[in-house]
Amino acid sequence: MADIQVNDNSGKGKKVRSKKQPPHVDLTPMVDLAFLLITFFMLVTTFNKPNVMDLGLPAKPKEPTNEPKNDIDLKNSISIIIGKDNRVFYHQEEQASLTDQNMLETSFDREGIRKVVQEAKAKAVKPDIFTVIIKPTDEALYKNFVDMLDEMAITKNERYGITEIRPWEQEIYDRKIGVAAAPAANSGQ
Amino acid sequence: MARVKPKRHNIRVDMTAMTDVSFLLLTFFILTAQFAKPDVENITTPSSISEKLLPDGSLMTILSTTDGRFYFTPVENGTERMQLLDNMAKKYGTTFSDEEKAAFTRVTAVGVPMNQLKGFLNLSEEDQENFKAPGVPMDENSKELIDWVEQSLAVNPDYKMAIKGDTDTKYNRVKGLFEGLRDIDFLKFWLITNQETGPTN
Repeated sequence: MADIQVNDNSGKGKKVRSKKQPPHVDLTPMVDLAFLLITFFMLVTTFNKPNVMDLGLPAKPKEPTNEPKNDIDLKNSISIIIGKDNRVFYHQEEQASLTDQNMLETSFDREGIRKVVQEAKAKAVKPDIFTVIIKPTDEALYKNFVDMLDEMAITKNERYGITEIRPWEQEIYDRKIGVAAAPAANSGQ
Repeated sequence: MARVKPKRHNIRVDMTAMTDVSFLLLTFFILTAQFAKPDVENITTPSSISEKLLPDGSLMTILSTTDGRFYFTPVENGTERMQLLDNMAKKYGTTFSDEEKAAFTRVTAVGVPMNQLKGFLNLSEEDQENFKAPGVPMDENSKELIDWVEQSLAVNPDYKMAIKGDTDTKYNRVKGLFEGLRDIDFLKFWLITNQETGPTN
């Protein structure tokens, strides 16, 4: 078809020497635009998704209040109590031996709780079943709780549990919060 | 013969193929793009090192605000939302008109107790946005939030759930929610977090 037309034209008009080129549309701006939009939509689809962290809760009937704790060797575990104002305490004691002195305070930064957990894990008799027991108080913030779960992910502790604080721990925690209100500046241990 | 005047042609690249491909891709990305709907409340999520992205699919979301109020976002699917509303209506002994059901398929989040839901659905969309929601009740007296989750699961047990909590939410509010979810034996869900830039904290 195109050939015939070209021949016709060249026969008629003498002035037209060269073959008529088929009209060329410059597609460059269109391609530019298309790629710009592609980039935009690609970025939007990937950045739109928030990150998530898995959380599995223990089934309710399987949690008799004290039984699983008895299986855990105290020196093979650490209890972490998340308090108010981003404060965090830890201990490795049982009810009878827990005192104001051996419930220690640390902080949420890198040198704080992470070191504590790692040191306790290094000292553990059986590091593969080293267990962290997280006990957030009612005054704790959601952020602290997530931070703590995050620490577990960072220190690669697969074994951790979230339970409520025991009354005997609460008692000492209350005292700590009350007593430590004045020298709050030295948060290190 | 050998000295043919070479015609100076601009080099022309045929862009048609490229245009075809790029528009194909463009169409694909436009169609798959899901724009994040603005949340009903401003929520600052805590950060974590988790790199897992929120999966697609039927997802219900619970928002928890700084002052301890909860919002429930049902799954997107319109027909399933209607079923959910029917279930909830049955449970709470009310009925909803067709207009209210249609309005329910469009809401961003439920932030009102069941007895106010009817009124909330009858507001115009603009008013709904400006409405200061009291939150879905979730305490000892009334566990409506858990009912929403439970009735959603009754519609389709494959629903997944994510909790988007504000950093400053009190833990005891979250704990109450967790306990409620354990009561209905819904144990696996996700916490929405921010990507942490590095292991600095």
